Parts: sequence; structure tokens; C-alpha cells
Amino acid sequence: MNRRNVRDVSVGLSFLAPNILGFLVFTLGPLLFSMYLAFTNWDLRLHNMFKEEPLRFVQLENFSRMLDDPDFWQYLGNTLFLMMSIPFAIAGSLVAAILLSQDTDGGSGWVRRRLIASAGLVFGVSCLVLAGAGVSAVTILIVGLAGAILLGGTTGGTTVYRTLFFLPHFTSGVATFILWKKLYNPSTGPITTALQPLLDLTGGVVTYVPAQLVRSCSWLCILLMVGGFYLGVRRLFLYWRDGEMGGFTVLLGLVFMTLPAACSTAWANPQSASGLVLAGAAVSLLLFGGRAVKGRGYPCRADEGLGDGIVFSATLMVVGFGLLGLGNVLYDLPVKAAAGLETPEWLTQYNWAKPSLMFMGLWAGIGSNNMLLYLAGLSNVPGELYEAAEIDGTSAFQRFWHVTWPQLAPVTFFIVVMSTIGGLQGGFEMARVMTEGGPAGSTTTLSYYVYTEGFTTGRLGYAAGVAWAMFALVFAVTLFNWKFGSRQIND
Amino acid sequence: MRKLTLVSFLVLAGAGAATLLTEPDMASDVPVIYWSTDPNPARIKQVDQFHEWLVENGHTTMDGRPNVELRLETVAADRKGIIQGVSGVAADIMDCNIPWYQSIGILADVTEAAERDGFGTDSTYDALEPLLTVDGRQYGFPCNVYVMGLWVNVDTFTKLGMEPPPTHWDWDTFERIGKEFVQRANPAGQRQTVFFVNRIEHAFFVRAMHRSLGVSDFNETMTASGLDHAGFAETLARIRKWTFEDHIAASKAEETAFSAESGYSGAGLTLLNKGNYGTYTIGRWVLIRLRQFEDPPRVSASHFPHGGFPNTLIAARTAAVYAGSPHLVEAKLFLAYLASEVYNIGIVESADAMPPIPKFTRTEGYLRPAEYPNEWGAHEVPAQGAGSIAITLSTSPFVPSATVDRYKKRALEQVMAGLATPEQVAAEAASRIDAEIQLTLVDSPTLRRRYAGAVALQEKIDSYRQMGRPIPMEWIKNPFHRVYYGSKGWIKNDPDGRGA
Repeated sequence: MNRRNVRDVSVGLSFLAPNILGFLVFTLGPLLFSMYLAFTNWDLRLHNMFKEEPLRFVQLENFSRMLDDPDFWQYLGNTLFLMMSIPFAIAGSLVAAILLSQDTDGGSGWVRRRLIASAGLVFGVSCLVLAGAGVSAVTILIVGLAGAILLGGTTGGTTVYRTLFFLPHFTSGVATFILWKKLYNPSTGPITTALQPLLDLTGGVVTYVPAQLVRSCSWLCILLMVGGFYLGVRRLFLYWRDGEMGGFTVLLGLVFMTLPAACSTAWANPQSASGLVLAGAAVSLLLFGGRAVKGRGYPCRADEGLGDGIVFSATLMVVGFGLLGLGNVLYDLPVKAAAGLETPEWLTQYNWAKPSLMFMGLWAGIGSNNMLLYLAGLSNVPGELYEAAEIDGTSAFQRFWHVTWPQLAPVTFFIVVMSTIGGLQGGFEMARVMTEGGPAGSTTTLSYYVYTEGFTTGRLGYAAGVAWAMFALVFAVTLFNWKFGSRQIND
Repeated sequence: MRKLTLVSFLVLAGAGAATLLTEPDMASDVPVIYWSTDPNPARIKQVDQFHEWLVENGHTTMDGRPNVELRLETVAADRKGIIQGVSGVAADIMDCNIPWYQSIGILADVTEAAERDGFGTDSTYDALEPLLTVDGRQYGFPCNVYVMGLWVNVDTFTKLGMEPPPTHWDWDTFERIGKEFVQRANPAGQRQTVFFVNRIEHAFFVRAMHRSLGVSDFNETMTASGLDHAGFAETLARIRKWTFEDHIAASKAEETAFSAESGYSGAGLTLLNKGNYGTYTIGRWVLIRLRQFEDPPRVSASHFPHGGFPNTLIAARTAAVYAGSPHLVEAKLFLAYLASEVYNIGIVESADAMPPIPKFTRTEGYLRPAEYPNEWGAHEVPAQGAGSIAITLSTSPFVPSATVDRYKKRALEQVMAGLATPEQVAAEAASRIDAEIQLTLVDSPTLRRRYAGAVALQEKIDSYRQMGRPIPMEWIKNPFHRVYYGSKGWIKNDPDGRGA
């Protein structure tokens, strides 16, 4: 290396030095230190500059303690439960991005339609108010807001809508949490006041309808669950037969899909519904199991299509649980309606606190960076593909399914990875501001647990252990995504 | 580009130097000490008063100015204080939980200074001693003292044609009056908007209830949890009944519906003033807020209802000196100021709980403040309680108080949510606390030795109890058991019969 090169390298390094130093001191150093902490019994009460208790290297003790710690498992369960909103948030982002990528400045026709819609909304509410229909302030507010948004769109076009959708992302987290706390107020919150009239109406209708008829809807849910399971098994079988999924993938998918049926033995209402679910599941498995015994034409690796298989079966699992829950609600509805339907107590009720936070997360997730990424992804889809598809006479849905969705696969993959990482690490601010982790620990996530163990109890070693366990989870999930989720993208 | 970089560097360096030169410490020619406390506007006045007190007591520079400058760090110490403390950068004076902070080792021993300057434990309430001392050494002094209880809006009761509740009452009386109150206050067929009491979740209320059944958080030597006891389960069951069956206490959802979590002390005091709550769980500082209302109501105070053994909680916002402070002598002066007349009178007048020196609760200014006749008769209740039925918190050296409170809160929440029976959660809370104790012992040889001694003592206490023999007072470390056993006559060497 000559003098000039040495000089160039020195200059380059001097420019990089502040950043590298910052990284070493404020990122890598603490990272290594926290790893060291995770293998010690460091406790603030016992090990600090004023105490002389010996610090012990405890090897894997913190991690083995985690396995026996019921709190750790409960909070891991909470974290995973809250993450169930991620697929919905991603789907919401995609829908929002597709809507926002439409040309809304379509000339005077658009403007006219929006103005008419806004005027219609305002006129309708005014009539209701004048007629003494008891329209609440919240309803007027919501309708007024909708009118304002429509009117805003006539002047600002897509930009206004994009800004509005992105609003949750650039608003401070704590501010939105406090806002949602107000929205969830069990007495005066807009969500409650908007829902209560609907529940009153539903309750009124249900009391006039024969109870058996309402309950038959519960059986409809069970039938849909069985039908969904049948179609899911059929689809898995076809994937397997055509060599798109391996045996292991299909088995894992079946495990996921069978979970709602298995849980129905404990949760189904009435209990006899569980028999129907299990029978349906058994018949489906036997039917396609019998066909599978005959073998297939296109063999493949056992873990072929694992990523797609998990996404597919996990989605069906969520739907299955949803139908099971809905069936239970419908079965109890006549009795509850007779007593008067009440809105839940959202954040203060054990069974509702987590779904309430999930719903809020969904709202925040739809208008997040994911939406921007999808918008960017959509703008990169070649127009010729759509033209070719149109010439082939495809419907709008077919164009989405065969053109848009595959073209967006890399973006989706990136979003799934980042959302999963965020989901596993998240929940701290939400729990701290909105529920303090309660009631009875139902909204405490792992990140909140790290905080309380570290700074309330003072067990820094154990807290660091939990933090590294979280990292291991994130790493494993990311690795899994890279290994199995990226194949379709690369294809 | 190079010039631009150089200029940027010089500007940043200049800004850094300017910041350094204008640092508060550097701008003072006397030692500067910091007081980490709550963001109460009254603190500003107290700081000024401290400077005046220094001058009056001869702690001055050559030119007659205070020889130390006190500054506020108005972010409550809490967890931040511990992190700063173990890192060597805490405020010189901290409002903190002394037994907990001392177990970490970050507080300075002030015993000698206290004896010399008149702020020893004998100058404040006897019941507070366990809160100020560890192993016989003093580590701080109260800024103010509070006896928690139920503060009553008398006007609300009068409006409903009812007498205000008595000062002392048992659970059944509380329930009877509460039911009558909510029945009269809430029109039939409408959503309930008036409650006899706000949500019963305050750790002090719950603790007073189970203590009244003879149950403490810990056993006599603080070596094990005492919560696996029918009395704790009964307490939880009773709170659930009052909330969801009798509807005399607001549930969490009902309290949230009132938006009771905003503002200083929440909107709860506005609701007390408006009559949505007949009584409210709080200390004497309730009056700070009530006095701000345009037409403050007549108030009285009641102790927590009891299940047999009348008791209440006495606690304090205690100031302690940071062991790593470079100005230990000056910081200890501040504690002497807390025992001064000028400070105590200030507390009396501002109604910021009770003054640290008990004699000031017997003054006319405390008992009958001229400007507030609506409060007459209420001030005596906490003051008399402090000298009679009040017991301070039981703090074990083997487990943090915050951990105990967390498990107790969780137990109550589980019962309120109907997730488990009171008996189940009582047993679980006790076993979790015991597990935490064992976990601490694994890590600390010092505490293990201490624990072994305490366990041996506990065995002796248990055998004495079985034989029905009185237990020597010095064996008992738990302040609750000292008083409780004293009241039962189970204590030896207890001259006043209450173990104090």
C-alpha cells in the first residue's frame, strides 16, 4: 500500500470512526455485557458498588429456571397470542395499499360523487337529529369525520388518504395508547357507545326470534368449521399429490388444522357439537388418508413447501377457532339477550384485555410502514402483466391472485419477517401505558417481563436471560422464514 | 468538504464547552445537593425554606449566605433511584422506601447525626421505627407521615338522609351502611353511578383487612409468607362480594368508566367531591385537592373496616441520604430541617399528610384550621390512629416489597376475574413469595446466614405458640405481629400491651 492509499484509508476510517465507536460502545458493548449477565446471578440488591456479595457464574441456570417459571410461559403465551393479529394487519396493509394505489383523482365524476356522498351523510344525520332519533354525539362525530375525509379527498386526492392512513405510524405511541384507553372506556368510550345501540338492537331482535333458530346458527358455524377442515385437508392432499408439499409439511399442517377440533372437546357449547366436529375431522382424514395410501405421481422432499403449508394451515386454524368461538356466542345468545346484551369491559376484563390490545395493534399495523412497502411494491409491478391478464379475460380477483400477489411475494416475505420480529419484541409500551400488564398478567408480554424482572425485582441476570431467550425465538423464527419462506420468492 | 467538517466539529466542541461551563454545579460557589422527590409545587417553597433555615441556624458562608444549595430533581426516585444509586450517580437526598433501598446498600447511616441534630426515631411516631431503621441503625427521616383511611364527603351522606360513617367499624357495619348508601343514592333501573367507596385495590386497604383477621404478609421473623391463610382468602372473597354482589365498591371497569386515572390523585377526588363516591381511600393529603374546589364539602375520616382486630397502616414519604453522595454532611442537614418547627408547621398548613413530629398534630392549626371549618373533626382521626391502631409495613430483607405487592395484586385480580378461588390464589401467592425468598438466598451467603438464624428463632416461636407461652418481644421482627400479639397478651416484655 503506498502513502496515498494509506492516507485515503486513514481519511475514510476517520469518517467512519464516530459511527464505529458509537456502535462499539453503545450497541456491541451492552450486547456482549447482557450476554455475560445472562450467565450470572447478577442481582441489583446484592451486587452493586456498595455490596460485596460474590457474583457467581451460573452457567445455564437462568435458562433452566425459565423452563420452570410459570410466569415466563404465561407471558410467552400472551406474546404469541397478541402476534395472531399480524396476518390480519398485513392483509389490512395490503388492502389499504391497493386502495390507495388507485387513481382517485378521476376527474369531475369522482369529485361529484364524493360531494354527493358527503352531503348525503350530513343530511341523513341532520334528519335523524331533527326527528329526535337519539343519535349519539359519537355517531354524529363519526359521520361528520367520514364526510370531512370524503371532502378532503376531493381536494387533496390520494395524498390526503395516504396521509390519513399513515397517521397512526407517525403519531407517538404513548399518545395513541392514551387515546385508545379513552376509546375503550367501558361506559363513555366511543366504541362502547357506538356498539351498545347495536347490541340493544340485536338483543331485541334475538328475543323475538325463537331460541332454537338462533342456536341453529351455532350449528351452522360448527358445520362451516367441519367444511373448512374438509376443504383444508383436500387442499393439502392435492398439494401433496402434485409434489408441491412434502409429507412432513402436510403432517404439520394437519396438526395445526386439527387443533380447533381438539380444543372443541373442552370449549364447544353444547358439548355434543364437539362430537360432530371430531367426526367430521375423522371422516376427512380417513377419506384423504385412504387416497394418500395409493401414493402420488410427483415425489418431493419431506419439508417441501413448509412455509406455505404453515401459512395455509395456520390461517385455517385461526378461522376454525373463530368459528368455534362464534358458535359458542350464538349458542348462548338467546339467554344473554334476554338479560340484555352489554358491551365488554375491554381492557379491564381478563378475557377481553388481550383481544382489545390486538385490535388496537391491528389499527396501528394497517397504516404502518407495511402499507408503504406494499405501495412501493405495487408501483413496481409491470403494467404489461396486467394488460396480458386482461387480454386473457381474467377477473379482478384472478388478476390479483395470479399477478399482484406473486409479484409482491418478496415484499410480503420482508414484512412477515419484520412483523414477526416486532411482534416478539413488542408489547412493552402498550402494557405499561394501558394495562400495567393486567388484569392478572393477561397482557404482560415478554418484553414487559424483562423490564419488571430487571428493574422491579432487580434480577438483572435472569432478566438478561429472558431477553436472550426472546432473541433466540426471534432468531429461530427468522431463520425458519429465510429457509422455508423464501423459496417461492426465489422461484 | 474538509472545511465544512472542521467547522462542524468546532461548532460542536464549542457548544459542548458552553454546556459544560454553564452546568448548575459549576455556577455555584457552595456545595450543591439534589433532592429527588415528587413533582409537588410545595417542594419549591420547602427548598426556599430550607435555605432560610440554614441561615437561621448558622450554616452560612462568610458573607452570611447558606453554605449549601439544595436543588430539586422532581422525578420520583422509585426504580430510577435504584438504578442511579447502584451506578453511583443518585441524588444526594432521595424520597424512598428505606428498608428496600438499604437492602441494596445505597443509603448512608444517619444514626449519629440524628442523635446530635434532633431527628432521631424518638422524635417521630413510634410506629414508624421499622420504616426508618435497619438492624437498629437509622437511615432517614419522614418528610410527611400518613395514616391511610377512608375520607368521607359528609354532604353526600346528609343529602341522602344518612349519618356519616363512624370512625371505627367492622366489616358488617361497613357492608350494612354501604348497601343502604348505594340503594338510596342510585335510582332503581338505571346504571349505577354512585358508590359507597372507590375500587378496593389499594394495597393498604387490602392489608388492613387481612391484618384485622390476624394475617400478615410474613411470619414473625419475615422468613416465609403468611398469606396462605384462611384470613387472606376471606379478605379477597369479601372484596369480591362488596364489588360484584353488593356493588358498594366500584369495580375496575366502573372506575375506568369514570376516567378516574387522570390528573394528580386522579379524577377520583372530583368524584368524591361530586358525590359519586361516598368515601375514598386516601391519606390526609386529600385536603390539598379538596381545598382547590370552589365549594369544598364537609369531610370526616374513618379507619378501614376491620374483621376483628382494628388496625390501620402508617407510612411515610421518607427522605434518606445517598451513601455515594459527595456531600454527606450537608445532606444530613436536610434531615435535621425536616424535624424543624418551620418545616412541620408548613406541612400542617399545606395539609400534605401529617407532620413528621407528632406534637404538631395537637396544635390548633392542625386540628381546626381557621380557613377550613368544613374539615374540623377530620384531622384527629389519622393523628389519633397514628398513636393507637397504626402499624407500619412488614418488610422482609429476603424479598422486595414490590414483589410481594405484585403477587398480592395478582391474587386479587384473579379472584375479581373469577379465574380461581380465594383459597387457591392465597396458597399460590404464598408459595410464589416463598420461592422468591429461596431464590434470594441462593445468591447471598450473607442473607443465608441471617435466614438460618431467623428460621431457628421461628421454630422457637412456633413451639412457644403451641405451648401457649408468651413470646419474648425481641424475637419478633414483624411489626404487625408485635402489635397483634401484644393486643392478645401473647408477648413478654411488652409494657403497653400493643407491642409498640
